[in-house]
Amino acid sequence: MKNIVMSSVVAAVLLFSGCSDKDPKVEDNSGAAQAVAAAPVATSVPSSRSESVSSAAVESESEMIARLQKELATINFDFDKFNINAANQPKVPANAEVLKTKASKFSTKLEGNCDEWGSDEYNIALGLKRANEVKKALSAEGVNADKITMVSYGESNPVCTEKTKECWAQNRRVDFKLLP
Amino acid sequence: MKIFLSLLFAVSLLLSSDATIEVVKKVDSLPSLAVEDSSATYDDTFKVKFFKTLVSDLNVLSIFNVDKNYRLINYDASSVAVENKDMNYVLRYRLLKDASGAFGVEMKVISKNSVVLTKEYKVNNTKIFMFVAHSMAYDINSFMGEAPVEWMKRRVIFSKMTSPQKSQIVISDYTLSYQHTIVAGGFNVFPKWANKEQSAFYYTSFDEQKPTLKYIDISTGKSKVIKSSDGMMICSDVNDDGSKLLLTMAPTGQPDVFLYDVKSKNAKKLTDYGGIDVNGQFMDNGNIAFVSDRLGYPNIFKLNSNSGAVEQAVHYGKNNSACSTYKNYIVYKARETSELFSNNTFNLHLISTETDFIRRLTAVGVNEFPKFSIDGDAIIFIKNYQGQSSIGIIRINHNKNFLFPLESGKVQSIDW
Repeated sequence: MKNIVMSSVVAAVLLFSGCSDKDPKVEDNSGAAQAVAAAPVATSVPSSRSESVSSAAVESESEMIARLQKELATINFDFDKFNINAANQPKVPANAEVLKTKASKFSTKLEGNCDEWGSDEYNIALGLKRANEVKKALSAEGVNADKITMVSYGESNPVCTEKTKECWAQNRRVDFKLLP
Repeated sequence: MKIFLSLLFAVSLLLSSDATIEVVKKVDSLPSLAVEDSSATYDDTFKVKFFKTLVSDLNVLSIFNVDKNYRLINYDASSVAVENKDMNYVLRYRLLKDASGAFGVEMKVISKNSVVLTKEYKVNNTKIFMFVAHSMAYDINSFMGEAPVEWMKRRVIFSKMTSPQKSQIVISDYTLSYQHTIVAGGFNVFPKWANKEQSAFYYTSFDEQKPTLKYIDISTGKSKVIKSSDGMMICSDVNDDGSKLLLTMAPTGQPDVFLYDVKSKNAKKLTDYGGIDVNGQFMDNGNIAFVSDRLGYPNIFKLNSNSGAVEQAVHYGKNNSACSTYKNYIVYKARETSELFSNNTFNLHLISTETDFIRRLTAVGVNEFPKFSIDGDAIIFIKNYQGQSSIGIIRINHNKNFLFPLESGKVQSIDW
């Protein structure tokens, strides 16, 4: 029994010590390199974020994306709802126009988000239903649905972290991201 | 009369084996246990730290009335400390350190002036001393003839948000006193152990163009992509032998539950309702529990994967949005309030699909992500209350809850 106990604990140790220097490669940003300082992980920065301006006159793709994204209004939602309310309806044709013209060479990623009441799968699904409503509305406005992808972050991507109703309202939203 | 008595007996037997019935035990009726330290090595701070960890574990066992006083005594002393002479049990231990830095513990349990149990433990690193304390408590629980507390020695895996779109996946012990960040940087959530041995895990990465399910083998550190889906991709449950997964995917924008075969890599769609179907959980007899809004509000349903028949599993509450299963038991999260302008309460409830009883397991705060232990003995969950994120343990058959606060960040999801 003693041996079993010891070997099982030792196995745990081996696992732990084994994983400490083999953290999975993290593909994202430079902050990751600091976070896994113990692990010699090569961290690459996506080219779209690292491009520098070579000439003031030429706009890079990432700059163009950043500029156009500002023209795409975030669509907000009512508490526990995923239909687009009257106040937010006018944003759909305006955004569709940008996507069909100035941003036509890019794909669109719709990011659904929720307020802070729950990080479980259902909340993620609610965020997705919001994104899907926006996708359907954009499609009805003539945007190519094949160029739209969706994701839902649930409550994990708040723009406001205060515990007020105004703040929660801001977080119930669908953001537009352009992809090269 | 005989028939009546035997019927009564049968009913009481049924009730006693049903975890949805609350068990109320008086603390006074539990045997007393004191803990004595005989360590000559290590500094006082560490010695007290180990003592507190061990006492905490013994309390979580819920089978002793544990004395919290720290007492030092010679390991070979023939009698227990004077203050402990009336105790039913005395646990005496000494911490040991060898030249290589390995951490060891010798322990004996004394009852009625006799040594009734001795054990030795050794690990190669002092940093994981808490796993030794957990093992000691586990062995004492076994010695007392109680149902195994396998989960006490197992590891917990959880994701915590560090900032918007930034998270870490962390492996810890059940008390969070040991923590090892295994995936840092990026936006990675919903970790789920891939097998009983806890040698690998799945998680959802939001860093790709589409949500992507990835797999990491802990012993080799190698990562591989399992599958991507537009909209949603979450591993909700892994079956007993790790060969089948229940995934939530939304390839056309509709979240549905899929059965994924690890070997053949085939995904079979199990639900086809036009609304939300998520959070599939394996049950006994080919049944699968899941969360759906098919009645206009989130609730727990049961799918017979052989016949395809779906039935409502929970008949209480109008907002039940998460569940976990063990055999025929379902623990679910219920929204108790629907306040738009103030904090809301979410409680966990336990039901059996074979009885009509409902047992409320928590009282205040936002309680979510319930997950049964591998042996069904306990439920782990996340509690967010007054700005503090904690991991909670519910000892179902002992009617006790324990909370272990997270120092920073907010727990996003958990598995053990």
